[in-house]
Amino acid sequence: MIRLDGVHLRAGGIFRLEGIDLEVESAGYGLIIGPTGSGKTTLLEAIAGHVPLTSGRILLDDEDVTNAAPERRRIGFVYQGYHLFPHFSVRENLTYGLDRARVPRDEASRRVNELAAILDIGELLDRGITGLSGGEQQRIALARALVPRPRILLLDEPFAAVDHSMRRVLRNTLADLREHESVTTLHVTHDVDDALRLGSMVAVLSRGRVAQSGPPEDVFRNPVSPFVADFLGSGTVLRGRIERLDGVGEAAAGAEPESGNSRRFRAVFVTPDLRLDVVADHVGEAHVLIRPEDVLVSKTELPGYPRNRFTASITRLEREGPVVIVHLRTGKTDFRAALTASTVNEQGMARNDPVAVAMKATAVHVF
Amino acid sequence: MAGAVLGGLLVVLVVGPLARLLWEAPPGTIAEAALDPEVRDAVALTILTASVATAIAVVLGIPLGYLLARSRFPGSRFLSGLLDLPVVIPHPVAGIALMLFLGRHSTIGGALANFGLEIVNHVPGIVAAMLFVSAPLVVSGAREAFASVDPKLERVARTLGDSPWGAFRRISLPLATRGILAGALLAWGRSVSEFGAIVVLTYHPRVASVLIYDRFTLSGLPAAVPAAALLLLVALGVFLLIRVLGPAERTPR
Repeated sequence: MIRLDGVHLRAGGIFRLEGIDLEVESAGYGLIIGPTGSGKTTLLEAIAGHVPLTSGRILLDDEDVTNAAPERRRIGFVYQGYHLFPHFSVRENLTYGLDRARVPRDEASRRVNELAAILDIGELLDRGITGLSGGEQQRIALARALVPRPRILLLDEPFAAVDHSMRRVLRNTLADLREHESVTTLHVTHDVDDALRLGSMVAVLSRGRVAQSGPPEDVFRNPVSPFVADFLGSGTVLRGRIERLDGVGEAAAGAEPESGNSRRFRAVFVTPDLRLDVVADHVGEAHVLIRPEDVLVSKTELPGYPRNRFTASITRLEREGPVVIVHLRTGKTDFRAALTASTVNEQGMARNDPVAVAMKATAVHVF
Repeated sequence: MAGAVLGGLLVVLVVGPLARLLWEAPPGTIAEAALDPEVRDAVALTILTASVATAIAVVLGIPLGYLLARSRFPGSRFLSGLLDLPVVIPHPVAGIALMLFLGRHSTIGGALANFGLEIVNHVPGIVAAMLFVSAPLVVSGAREAFASVDPKLERVARTLGDSPWGAFRRISLPLATRGILAGALLAWGRSVSEFGAIVVLTYHPRVASVLIYDRFTLSGLPAAVPAAALLLLVALGVFLLIRVLGPAERTPR
């Protein structure tokens, strides 16, 4: 288990981390996602004990390690650049942790062989570090971190330096490995794909703060801010005003008492180009997120959608395998829809075609 | 083409005088010089004191070089610059400064003399002069060598359970060894070649450079040449020896 309580870190006169609260359950897989310079690596180095906290606490398996030296924390750390020890052989790299713990040679050798088998690096053990491919180095770095059985595994952009196909292989390897080792993992990435495929928890980091955290699907579908939505690429973010559907002022409206803790009511979101029915919890300035997968597009009429129906023209078709991202424009507003390739082909959609567009009121996410 | 000509000119300027010196001293006269007890003692004293000065510079220069490479503290850049100062001041000036600092009438020199360690006009004075002019080469060599070792390597070692000292000894130091040795070699050579500071601080016993200068001023060029050629050959020999024996890129077993 990893728990961070109000972690602040100040270095060089500025806050690198500001009030980070975070928890990854035992054997869980947490992902920190954020743009360059958001403090992701700093956060991992703080957990590993390489940089002291200004305030706050770090707990690993209920043990407060805030002031413990890195070598006492039992952490496995994989940096983006892998940082294999260049003057050691692959085997010497792998046994480094066990040698420090004075584990007997035959026991160490058994453990190294065990992980080498899972990671398919048995052939490389007696080689030097020079001349290894990125994928090989990556697997060796993973093995080196896991050989001493750490209670926490910290991964800093582990897939950043390998190509796309290798990344897919490594993701699977990592999943196998985690099943075998059941080690609590915190993985830092700027890749939304990693977050959706691997994590049981995701936290979006922005300028040293957690902008949002939760299960990946939740965060992806219901971003709390334009930054999160934009960064995750959840869809099109528009800016406008929320108005009461009945046109009555907020105070008089008497919001529909709905179950749950928030007062949500039907409203309209208005921009110069659009008027969309939405479910909102406030009026006035607002952003909405239109998710491509929730947008219906057709060259013929779309029946059954009395509201949120308008016309647009296709500006671009972007094919991504079985999915086509259709870029649309209405007035001066650009947005996207995700359609299946068969729909696009059947209807013979092409650039500049006028189309009918519709979306459910609940599909437009207001924040 | 023009580059090759200009470069060649410089090579001639550096190698030419040395070759001419060896040309002027036939093997017989060099052998004679080698058998001359006065010359032998001077060369031995030079090698000994240069080695001691280099050893001290390495032992003290490694921690300082590491500190300068790894930590940014107020004035660290200023300190770095300050340590390079001995390279740019005239060497008799260095000798005079050392004399004031370490002489019998100075606080430090006086205290050391009370413990029976005479510096000025004794062998330790030679070591002190050599150390003063050559230590910056070791410090900057070590600083550059440590700066080229990614600090994340040490961090990985720490998370794998190693102490700060262990991570330094097992990771950073071996990876910086080549650079430190290169600095040490330069420092040793610089020490062997030192004249100006030594002649002010400890004229006697004479190191090779002082002896050769003595012979040149007292008996003229022909008397100085064989000893000079001998010193050149000894320095060259040691340089080659270290280059051959020095650690190559370590290949793991």
